[in-house]
Amino acid sequence: MPTFSNSAVAAAFADPGGSFAGTDLRITLPLTRALLNEVLAARPGGTPVSELYLDPEAGNKFRVHLAAAAPIIGRVARRITLVPGPAVSFPEQPWLQFAITDGLKFLDRPLINLVQTLVESRLPRGVDINSSLIRIHVPALLTHLGYQQFVPLLHRVHLTSEANRLLLNLHLLAQPQQV
Amino acid sequence: MHPVLQHLIDTDFSDLQGSSVEGQFAVTDELVNLGLHELVSQLTKPASSTSTAPAAPAGDKTTVLPDTKLLLRKVKFEQLRYRTEAGRTVLEIKAGM
Repeated sequence: MPTFSNSAVAAAFADPGGSFAGTDLRITLPLTRALLNEVLAARPGGTPVSELYLDPEAGNKFRVHLAAAAPIIGRVARRITLVPGPAVSFPEQPWLQFAITDGLKFLDRPLINLVQTLVESRLPRGVDINSSLIRIHVPALLTHLGYQQFVPLLHRVHLTSEANRLLLNLHLLAQPQQV
Repeated sequence: MHPVLQHLIDTDFSDLQGSSVEGQFAVTDELVNLGLHELVSQLTKPASSTSTAPAAPAGDKTTVLPDTKLLLRKVKFEQLRYRTEAGRTVLEIKAGM
């Protein structure tokens, strides 16, 4: 978590649920292909992943172009189709899920293992990858990043795909405490 | 500047088109008072410390934000309403890009 010299900002970060009690905001944020790929291009270097592109498509699916240097088998390149799962809500449904509907085969075990090892070395437990599913435990991820106190504010997080962009729908809700 | 932020500025924030926010943003009196306290202490700081802007130390990790007007020019406000209720200040907002 960042630290702030401003005491008001620090207080807001320490207890956002209390500081912003009564807040009820619905935010729609389109993430265009260009923007997503700028974000991916800015990823830290020094990993076996040499190429990583996202290609959002209509009909709620997107493609990931991935090339990586895997042990023994060498460079592997795959185009994987992902379908975003149901909305994330706290605390009932904490997983941000993506079904892998195409592109990975049973033989891709080494690739999956490689990505999983990479993910585990950089992120906390809470990111699962297998040949049919990628899922991210949002509260665990936020906790790892130092934003645990913001988790209860995430009433709903829903990611969908349309042509050339992913749409992020956020519902932030801080219930006023009953006195 | 972060490459993603640079990209947003270079493309005139066109990637954010279709963004919207709707609802209400509430701030407790406590937080407003903390902010006031902070403001007063800033304003009453000895002049010597404010007149000379300290140079950012090398390797400073604070993000330099661009002129927010650049972004705000793109925002269309449909509703912006201020009100108060017991213990908090509420801003009702409906805006999009």
